[in-house]
Amino acid sequence: MKTRHELTEILDFIAEYATYLLGSGVHTSRAIRNSQRIGEALGVDIQLSSFQRSTILTVRDDESGEAITRVVKIPALPISFERNSDLSALSWDALDEHLPLAEIRRRYALLIEKPRIDPIFVLVTVGLANASFCRLFGGDWTAMAIVFTSTLVGFAAKQRMQAHGVNHFLIFIVAAFMASLCASSALRFDCTAETALATSVLFLVPGVPLINGVIDIVEGHILIGCSRLINALLLIICIAIGLAATLLMVKDSLL
Amino acid sequence: MIAADILLDGLFAAVAAIGFGAISDPPMRAFPRIALLAAAGHALRFSMMNYADVDIASASLCAAMLIGFGSLWLGRGIRCPMTVLYIPALLPMVPGIYAYKSVFSLIMFLQSLNDPGQGMQYMQLFFLNATVSLSVIALLAAGATLPIFVFNRRAFSLTRRRKIDHPTPRPPKKDEPATEPDVEPRNPGE
Repeated sequence: MKTRHELTEILDFIAEYATYLLGSGVHTSRAIRNSQRIGEALGVDIQLSSFQRSTILTVRDDESGEAITRVVKIPALPISFERNSDLSALSWDALDEHLPLAEIRRRYALLIEKPRIDPIFVLVTVGLANASFCRLFGGDWTAMAIVFTSTLVGFAAKQRMQAHGVNHFLIFIVAAFMASLCASSALRFDCTAETALATSVLFLVPGVPLINGVIDIVEGHILIGCSRLINALLLIICIAIGLAATLLMVKDSLL
Repeated sequence: MIAADILLDGLFAAVAAIGFGAISDPPMRAFPRIALLAAAGHALRFSMMNYADVDIASASLCAAMLIGFGSLWLGRGIRCPMTVLYIPALLPMVPGIYAYKSVFSLIMFLQSLNDPGQGMQYMQLFFLNATVSLSVIALLAAGATLPIFVFNRRAFSLTRRRKIDHPTPRPPKKDEPATEPDVEPRNPGE
């Protein structure tokens, strides 16, 4: 049997944990499963339902029948698979090692403090990745080099704008425009210019929300799945707007 | 020559997967396995499309299922959930050229409103390319998710420590049929 104070503490932790997971790009059923696993380790029943921007969760003590509910906002965090793995593993550890709440909290704080991947490393690997992508679509070496450079420009712009907290739709439009404008220099060379232009913006494609959306829908969380897909679709439209601006400028040499 | 083509295709897919994966901050220990999955999946799709005349949608579905089952198998060793491995591995298969062509034909359609004949051609191109991109993306995601439904108990406990690490060892239960319904946390299988 838990006191109301203990129950509130558990609820506050689970609220933080679940919204952190949902904010960093974990699909809904995993976030629910992990939270319930921690709840089980602490001896309470947890139910939660989630929307795009907020989560409703209830903690119930089975012995006393007391229940507390909270609505929590989901923070906008960068997507992180590392947090996804670590926090999922934490939920299993909590269950298997019967950790008390204080210990779970301590490990949680350590895990979310872990440094992220170095942005410069990400920048270079994204450049290489987009160049290889160009190759997969049949681009030649000149096109690959151009795509590499334009990806560096576009992605660096995106990183800088994100650091300054610019609206993410604007970020996508501007980054797509800059990357494709650089890539349109391929028209001056004797190479597969259309492939270069097409590939240059693909580093922006929001793959994680797209796939998470489909996963959520097939797992029965249809509402949030659709919200994720619509969100991803908006970003794709932004990419298309940025690309379209370039295409309108150079379309005569493409036809 | 054919083998070299397939290998090269796998190699570029692996580089692409690592780079696109890096945007989503995966754990460092996952990179080799992401690369392996992406290479295997993309090479399979490449071979099916080029040597077996399969269309892009079915080939993508097969490749996505390969990646999905592969991530189930490889995720165990490094305590990573399946999605951490398979989302980056799927990204090189996103049909970028079709997506680009849809945008391009939409723009050209809007530019040729005064010429209905040409406009219809572009509209047709737009629907063709958009249909291909949408179905490929949906099939990619669905194909890779399939293993979660087939082996849900195994898929849900990938991040759990192995039995050796448990303070209280449990009797080994290996891939037994899920006789109890999947109330996963209450009867942990492996």
